[in-house]
Amino acid sequence: MTTTEHASEAARPEEGNRVPGEPDMWFFVFFESLLFTSYFCVYLYARTQNERAFLRSQSHLLLWLGIVDTIVLLTSSWVMARCVQHARAGRHELARRFAIVTAGLGVVFLALKMVEWVRLIHSGNTLTSSDFMQYYFFLTGIHAIHLLIGFVVVGVIIYQLSDARRRSPRTIETCSTYWHTVDLFWVVIFAMLYIVR
Amino acid sequence: MSLSTWRDDPKRELWFAWYATVAFYSLYSVVFFLITRTQPPGQPWYRPDQVVRWFADRHTGLLVGFALIFVLGGFSATSIALITYSIRRMSVSRAFAYSYLILYSISAVPGFLFICVAMTVGAMRPDRSPGLQRWLYDLGFLSFSGTMGVFLIGSLIWMAAILLDRNRVFPRWFAYLNLCNALTEVVIAPSWIFQRGVLAWNGVIAWWIDVVVFGLYTGVFIYLLRSMIRREDFGTGPLPDLPPRRAPSSRPAVEAGAS
Repeated sequence: MTTTEHASEAARPEEGNRVPGEPDMWFFVFFESLLFTSYFCVYLYARTQNERAFLRSQSHLLLWLGIVDTIVLLTSSWVMARCVQHARAGRHELARRFAIVTAGLGVVFLALKMVEWVRLIHSGNTLTSSDFMQYYFFLTGIHAIHLLIGFVVVGVIIYQLSDARRRSPRTIETCSTYWHTVDLFWVVIFAMLYIVR
Repeated sequence: MSLSTWRDDPKRELWFAWYATVAFYSLYSVVFFLITRTQPPGQPWYRPDQVVRWFADRHTGLLVGFALIFVLGGFSATSIALITYSIRRMSVSRAFAYSYLILYSISAVPGFLFICVAMTVGAMRPDRSPGLQRWLYDLGFLSFSGTMGVFLIGSLIWMAAILLDRNRVFPRWFAYLNLCNALTEVVIAPSWIFQRGVLAWNGVIAWWIDVVVFGLYTGVFIYLLRSMIRREDFGTGPLPDLPPRRAPSSRPAVEAGAS
């Protein structure tokens, strides 16, 4: 057993009593959640003002594609959780592989999103074509920017896990918190844009 | 504090920069919100005759308010300098501080000077053709709101410096607040496209929500800069914590001893 493994074993009894990762990252989660909540409130209010037009535009979205997007991103969250578990247990090489898979699933999600954007634009549904599409492109776009930052965050995890001198379970947990937050935002965006009728 | 104590205080330049920062942001708010009433912004969909009326309603305020900005707006340099100083005090490469300094020095021009020039020119000759007045009106608001993205990289540089810093100059949650602020600056970009709705330059998302975040962010960084100055020891290692406040119960004993 390596020194790092001993350290992680020693830390285990305290795990149930502490917040995962840096408490400061939870500030980001809280603040960004407030921000997204405000966007959702604005969207829902606009929807109540012209429900029929929103429903008409919403019919251009492919529900199954949204479901696939959601499954891909939720799977990435599960894989990220496995990565953290392995990192805590000192199985760093395995954890690194899980982090790479997480980033790969993120790329798949983004590719699917681009396919959907291109399909919509080709069928005449753009940022300016209707109020619903304005919200659709805004919410999915701002989420995609969060996801792009997520790739940097996963890059930090991979970088940390690549060298024994750099490994910090706390940093890995902090980065995974970011990834889960972005996934959570998508679940709500999916419900708002694809499911709510 | 007496004058001689102030003169001997090694932090006096830092305090001067901090008070100038507070004065600048106060002036900025008063001029933009109260004197010129250019914030909240006018409607992007105004017809030329409505724009002419908009200028006429604010004629004196625009001339007086922005004259104040032209005289005192240079104080914005003190806040940039103080933030640059804070990054220099960190354990990170100086490249962060210099990048921030250059970026924000350039950004101040589209960030708030363009709107002042455009609106003052508009107010100067009310008899100018309504089409030209609308051109100036668009230039003013678009340069002000639409170019907020130039501050994005600055916020990210500050964020990265705080996250990498080992001298504990700022708490790490402030790095994440920088990220939140940077992400709201992205949201303003579509104001170039929309003349109505939530993403227009006066929209609920592009302006109202963003201005709340920016106001909070500004208040927080001014407070944290004050805290940094109080903790400054002019060394190169970690910034010391502030001494704990004296317990209220200890005061009577001290006073009794003094008497």
